[in-house]
Order: sequence, then C-alpha cells, then structure tokens
Amino acid sequence: MKISAGTPDAMPPGLRSLSYGIFCWANRRPRALRAVGALFRLWPFAGGWFGMAARASAVKGVLTRPQSFSNSAHAANLAAGDYLIGMDPGPTYHDDRRLLDDRLALLAASLPAAADQEVQRRVEQLGQLGANKSFDLIDDYLMWIVFRSMDPLFGAATGKVVAGAHGNATDPGLQRQYLLEIRYVAGQLLAGSTATLRVQRRAELCSDALRARIAAVSRDIQQAWGVPSTASTITRNAAGLAWISHPVTVQSGALAVQELLRRSKVHRALRAEAQRLGPAGVWQNAKFRDLVREHVLELMRFRPIFPLLARDVPRDTEFETGARHNAPCSAGGKMAIWSIAALFDSRVVKKSGQFCPARNWGPHQDLRWLMFGYGIRQCPAKDYAVEILTSALIGLLILPELRLTRGEGKAIAYDGPLMSRMRVNFV
Amino acid sequence: MLEMVRQQMICIIAPGWRGAVDFSDSGDMQSALNALFEDVAVVQFASIALLPARTDAEEQAPLLMLELAVEEGIDPKDMLYRLVHHPSGAMWSLFSSYWPGGGPPLVSARNGQLFDKLIGWLSLADGGFVGPRDRTARQIRKERDLLIWTRDEGRKLKAMYGDDRASFALALAQRAFQDPRFDWAMQPAPRSYWRGKGASISAKVGYGLVVFGLWLALVWLVGALPKGLFGAITWFVGASWPDVQSVVDVISRVSMWIVWASVRALLAFVALLFLGWLLLVALPALFAPWRRWVDSVRRELERPTETWSSFSTRVVGWIVGVPLLLAILACAVVFVFYPKPIMEGITALTARVPGWELALFGVLAIAALLCIGTFFSWINRRFEALSKWFFHPYEEDVTRAQQVHPSIDQCEALLASGTAHMISLTDIRSPNGWSAWWIRVSLRVVTFFGRVFFTEGRLGDAPGIHFGHWHIIEDGRRFLFCSNYDGNFGGYLDDFINGATIGTTLAWRWTTLRPRGSAAVGQPDIKTPRDFPPTRFVLFRGVKCELKFKSYARDSMLPHMYRFDACNATIEEIDLATGLRDALFGERNDRNDDFIMRAIET
Repeated sequence: MKISAGTPDAMPPGLRSLSYGIFCWANRRPRALRAVGALFRLWPFAGGWFGMAARASAVKGVLTRPQSFSNSAHAANLAAGDYLIGMDPGPTYHDDRRLLDDRLALLAASLPAAADQEVQRRVEQLGQLGANKSFDLIDDYLMWIVFRSMDPLFGAATGKVVAGAHGNATDPGLQRQYLLEIRYVAGQLLAGSTATLRVQRRAELCSDALRARIAAVSRDIQQAWGVPSTASTITRNAAGLAWISHPVTVQSGALAVQELLRRSKVHRALRAEAQRLGPAGVWQNAKFRDLVREHVLELMRFRPIFPLLARDVPRDTEFETGARHNAPCSAGGKMAIWSIAALFDSRVVKKSGQFCPARNWGPHQDLRWLMFGYGIRQCPAKDYAVEILTSALIGLLILPELRLTRGEGKAIAYDGPLMSRMRVNFV
Repeated sequence: MLEMVRQQMICIIAPGWRGAVDFSDSGDMQSALNALFEDVAVVQFASIALLPARTDAEEQAPLLMLELAVEEGIDPKDMLYRLVHHPSGAMWSLFSSYWPGGGPPLVSARNGQLFDKLIGWLSLADGGFVGPRDRTARQIRKERDLLIWTRDEGRKLKAMYGDDRASFALALAQRAFQDPRFDWAMQPAPRSYWRGKGASISAKVGYGLVVFGLWLALVWLVGALPKGLFGAITWFVGASWPDVQSVVDVISRVSMWIVWASVRALLAFVALLFLGWLLLVALPALFAPWRRWVDSVRRELERPTETWSSFSTRVVGWIVGVPLLLAILACAVVFVFYPKPIMEGITALTARVPGWELALFGVLAIAALLCIGTFFSWINRRFEALSKWFFHPYEEDVTRAQQVHPSIDQCEALLASGTAHMISLTDIRSPNGWSAWWIRVSLRVVTFFGRVFFTEGRLGDAPGIHFGHWHIIEDGRRFLFCSNYDGNFGGYLDDFINGATIGTTLAWRWTTLRPRGSAAVGQPDIKTPRDFPPTRFVLFRGVKCELKFKSYARDSMLPHMYRFDACNATIEEIDLATGLRDALFGERNDRNDDFIMRAIET
C-alpha cells in the first residue's frame, strides 16, 4: 500500500497548472527543447549551475555513474509500486532483472514474426477504409500491434491479466480498458510530480486497479512464468512489466510517425521503396527492414519519449559538464539529463540537425540508442521495441499514403505530455 | 480551486427507479458495495437513498440517490470509471434494473452503457465543506493504528518512566522509529497549500496581491505589446498606417483603463473592508456602548419572533441602513468605473475645507453615534417596564410538537455509534432560476471560505462536519443536502445555528417544502407545505428560529437505505492521530512531548 497516494497539493492554486502546462508544452515541442539544450551545450557552465548535463560527453558520464546519480528519482513516480526502473542495484534489483531478462528472452524468439503477423492483420482491415474515413493511429493500430507482439511476456496468463480472473478474454472492450489503465500509470512516469493533482490521482486509481488485477491472477502468472518467486515478487514484476512495456512503446511509435509525417520527402522515399518491393516483398527483404529500422531510430532521435531524465544525487559529488570546471551536486538533490541535447551534440554527431538515417556514427555508435538510456541502466527491451516499431512502420508504408486528418478538430490530442489520439486518413 | 472541493462530493441521481434491490444486512448488495468501496479505497463515505418524485413530475417513480464522498483531486469521471469497471460488477448489479432485458452480453459493452448513464446523472456538489482535509482513508487508518500502538506502548512503559514526560516521550518516539511498520510516518503529515504554507493571513493576502499583480501585468502587456511593436515597425520602416495606429491606440487605451479600474476596485475594496473593520471590530473593542449597540442590532435582526424592538430595528434598517449601504456601494462602483465626479468632489471639498476640519468632523460623527447609543442604553436601564414591553419576551410561535418519522429514527439509531448522516430534500422557491442562482452564489461563497479560511475542520464555529454538501438538482427545482457529521442531529444543527448562522441561512433561505408522497412504503411524506423560517435582510434570522428550523429540517429529511463509512472515526480522533504522528516523528521539544502525553491519555 502506498501511503503517499493522495498527497494534497502543497503549491499555491494555479501555480501547478501553470508549471505543468509549461512542462507539457515543452514536451510536445522537442524543437523548443533542442534550442534550449543547444544553449546549455554552448555554455555548459550555465547548465552546471542548474545541475543539468547537456553535452553528449556529460550525459554519458552521468549515465555511467548510477551509484552517484541514482535512478531512484523515478521511484516517486511509480504509481503502481516499486519497479526496476526506480531501484538502486541490490539483491532485489538483480533478482527482478533476471526475471525480466528471462521474460524478454521469449520476445527474441517471437519477434519480429509476431509483430509482422499482427501488422498484416491490421493492414488488411485498415486497407478497406476509404480515403475519407479516418482512424486513430494509436487506438486502432499501434496499441494492438504492440499488445499482440508482447503476448509472450505473460504467456498463458495474458488473457487473465487483460480480462481479469473471471472476465471474457476475447472481450475487446476489456482489453481496451486494460490498455488504457496501463497508459495512465505510464503517463505518471513521464509527468512526474509536476502533474496536476487530477492527473496524479487518476494514475493512482489506475495503479490500484492494475495491482488488484495482477494480484487476483498472480498464481496464473506464476504458473505461466514457471518461477518459484513469492506472490509479492510476482505482483511487483508483473505490474511493472505491464505498465512499462506497452504504453512506452506505443507512445514512441506515435511520436515516430508524427515526425515522419512532418518529413514528406523522407516519407515518400520510403513509400517508393516499399512499393517497389510490393506488399509481400517488404516482409521478406532484410535490407528494407534494416532501412526502416534506421529510420525508426532516426525518427526517435528527433522525438524521444523521454527528452529529459532526472537523477537523484545520494551523496555530494560533481559531474563533468564539458566546461572548464565540474559542476558540484549536493547530496539529497536532483540533477537533470538532457538526452535530447546530447543526441544533437555536433561534437559527436556531424550535421546533427539533418535527418540522416544512414549516418555513420563511427566511434559513437552507442550514442545512437541514447533515447533508451545509456550504460548498465539502459532499457533492456530496446531492441524488441525497435523491432516492433519497425514492423508497424513497414505496415504503414504499404498502406495508402497517410496524412493527419483535417476538419475533425485537432488530429492530435494530448493528455498531459502523452499523445492520446492521432487521427489519420489516407490521401 | 472550488471545483476541487465540489468534485469531492458527488451524487448520482437516477430518475425513475423501479429496482427491487435488497439493501438489508442479509442481502448481497450491501456486502458487494462494501467490498467495492473497500477495494477502490478512495471513497470515504457513501450512502444510498430514495428521493420521492415531485408531485408535478411526469415520472412518478422515485429517484435513486447514490452519494459518494471521495478523496481530494479525483475527477468524478475517473472515479465512476473505476467503480463501473470494477471486476466485481457491483455497480451493474445496483443499476441493472434500467436494462430490463439484461443489457448487452459483453461486460465491457454493458459497463460502457452504464458509465454513460451515470455520467448523465452525475451531480457535482454546488457547495460543500470537508472537515478532515488532506487525509486519505488509508492514511486515517494507518494513523489510527499508530495511535493505538502508541497507547499500548505507553501502558507498558508507564511504570518505567512515571512522571518524566520528556524521557517517556523520547522512549515512545525511539520505539516508533525502530518499528518498520511506521516507516511511512517519517514524512510529516501532508498539508495542502491553504493548510500549510498558505495558512497565515499574510500568506493569503500575499497570494491575492500576487494574483492581482499578475492580472495588472497581463492587462498592461495586452496594451503595451502591440503599441511597442507597432511603434518599432513604423520607426524601422519609416512609414505610417493611420488605420492600424488608431486600432492600436484603442487597444492601448482600453488596456490602461482596465488597469486603473482594477487598481481603483482594489482601493474601493480595501476602503470598504476598513470601514467594516472600523464599525464592527475597532469601535466595539474600544467603546462599550458601541459594542452593546452593535450586539443589540445583531440580536434584534436575528430575533426569532417579531417584537417591537425587532420591528423598529427592521424599519430603521430599511430607512437608514439599506439606503446608506446602497449609497456607499454605489459610490464604490462609480469610483471604480467613472471616478471623475468623485475625484472632483473630493478635490473641491479638500480645497474648501482644511484637513483638520474633516478629521474633526469624522471624530464628531463617531462621537454623535456613540452618544446616541449611550442614550438608548440609558433609556433601557432607566425605564425597565418600557424596555420589557419593547423587547417582548423571547418566545417562538411553533404550533406543533415535532414528530420525527420512524424511518429517520431508525437510521439514526443504526448510526449511533459511528459518524452520523443526514439527507435533506427541499424544493426551491419560485421563480426557480432566480432562487437557484442565489443559492449557487451563496454556496460558492461558503465553499470558498471553507476552503481558504476554515481549514482546521470547523466551518465558522461549527465543528464535526466530515463531508457536508449541497446540490441543486432536477434543473433547479429541488435542493439536496447531505452531511456526514459527528454527534447527533440536534447538536449538529445547534452547531450550525450558533456557529455558521449566516452561511446556513444563505444556503436554505430560498427553499420551501411542497407536499410530496413517500418514496417507498415506510418512508416519510409531506402533507402540508412548509416554508423556511423568514429572514431579515437576507442574511439574518432564518436558522435562528431554532425550533422552526429544526422542525423544517426534520420534515425535509429522508432515510438512507445503504451506508458506507471507510474509517468510522470522529474528526477529533483523526486530528489527534495526525498530530501524534507529527509529534512522535518530529523534533523532540516540550510541545511535541506534551502532545504525545495528551494523545495517550485521551
């Protein structure tokens, strides 16, 4: 039970809405963040005053020192209870990490075939829509592809996790309810303590529901996983795995497509290549898949889901900003990592502002995946996420050309920093 | 800010109820709803009652009311979503009678339909007050466990420490610190802004001034920005556009007018506050006759019966008080929107009359008022017979002894050992729109004061209110009041009558009781119409007609069929447990030691 749940707002009325509004605004506009990040890269000492690492070297330096710059900064935002992402290394962390790696290993066997299969099914359904009919890229496409692709995570227990202990596993409404629930829990990780009370409490409500849902089927999950862990370990890992795996991948996919639709030349070139290969060929051609994967990574570089990351500072230390002097960090404080600034650092990425999927990163190849973190705390599921999104993007390329819907209100709707709707139709 | 309070107290008003649900202890519904609310864990109080239909309503079946008092910050839609989609399906069981055919086969589809219906029936409180602020049900339970644990430990340690208070408290604190079950208590009990950093008057005034300053800056920017930009462009280009210039000038002038009108409004507000403080606080504190006179006027205005004294006070009020008040308000309004005549008048007056004469005039006016007060006070003492006749004996003209419906008695008996509960349903006076508007405005004012100023569990001087909320329902035709409170009904209304007189009168004065049938067999009806006790000058008397008001409130009451109380603790107990948490885990000082001792002895 989380005693911090329901903490009242200690900020003056209006101030939280204002600060949250600014945060969301900045999150939706990565170009604005990149511009500010460029200033911090140019004058790294200024970033140091505010405890911000912006240069690629500084960001790498901080992320490779997890003992000095702790992931526990995330812990307060884990509405569904403690999970790996907010833990410091220790017995629990290592045990949970082993469990997670075992689950993810199953994805290696099933991907990309499972993703391709679901994409083909969705493409067939959407292909029957006319040019005037719009659909929601998140709710009608990405959400289901990621969901089906991640089936092996819960194995035989997936149906019960989704529909509840006594629910009908084929009820699409129950599936949608589950996917919405975990979306709001994940949203709290992104919005954090800046979120308004309403957003925080919604995440807490959904977290309670998720925990209750998992607790009710923990024996089924245990059997499906085939591990002798205790019920609390199963519940903690199952809840964590549920909310972090699916929504974050879906959001990343939506952001990547949003960026792609802005770049019509790139989009058309990819579509031309897909057309050349034909609807069947795109799934067999390894070179094309590599090309699309490169595009996904480049699109994610321009719109990373976590442009900024926070870290706790457990003891007095300092970090290399890139300026003449290191920046001191006091114990008990926090510092911010500007991943979005590091991804565009022209010291390591030549012509960083250009969209160039085929760029040779040379000795900085590891930085290519910086949007997934860096070092030993880098996202362990990054390869699978990119594989799923690659399949999803290939599916979109063989459909008729997409554009954001016009004349039905805003095509893209946000719920705080998260994209909740992205209506598109065929040209 | 007010919405945050209003959405903590919601009612689902489902019309045309024809369900046959068994809410008794032996039925399934009670246990299902209890389990649902326990599992959701954010509902502090819930109740279900049947509201009788209006006699002129098309649908004569009763309405089902589901009252929910939930924790702060939760959007009612999120709350309902959680309740409706709970795997137990308890909400569907409750409302399934609205789908005679059994509803859609898929659980998600039927939950979706139920959710849509409930959103349509949702009524946010139009006003309300929350006593135990900033606490969740989970927190209350945990803090109560801590209190019980501390008392047990205290008993064990008493023989060892005897009267050494500091050592005793230190030993208890050390044990609490070492117990991993109380890790959560290391953090001080959370407090929202108005109870934390914004609790002091200076912080509240500061907040208001900051908001006002931001408003001025914003309005000024709206005028200054176009002017500055346009000026820069014309200078840079070296050309002029008279049409655009005139529009920019108008925007700039309007913005500056709003800035100065806002400043004048603030000045007028401060001046009115000062006047009120001078007449109602400063002078009564300095001069006893003035204090007696103010008390006497207030007493006469609130006197339940009509006497010569109250009649003459009312007449003088209409002849002198109301015109004077209106004149002052009119001056303030003129000063804000068109200050020229007032400023010219002041300039002419100050040019003609020196300042010392004006000050002397003010002092003489106050002295004259004091003399008048003293004179009447002397008459009261000197002519006792005349005074007795004038003030008439205190007697209320209640024609019948109040009879409480047995179903209400039964409900109160069931809750005798827990938090009491009241549901009152009245009609809104005609014209409904006008009355509903006034009620709404009054309730917003009450809610605002409750949120910002009465932050420690007391509304005015009325203690013991957990969640009290008012709803205008059925398109402004009826007025619903639900309250969860400590103690009993009589004491509760006494608290309102004596502690929050004006607020309560304002909330109820536009209501009446029209004849209505009973909602179900064994539930109360109303055979003869009743009015809320008469008021004087909108704010006074009303609830001070104690017997009439209590009789009116009693007649408006309805019994509950289901009741859920997540914590079953009084506000005093809740405050005590929270205080103990802060004292045990706070720094060791006399105040905290003393609090711990008091907590274990209470």
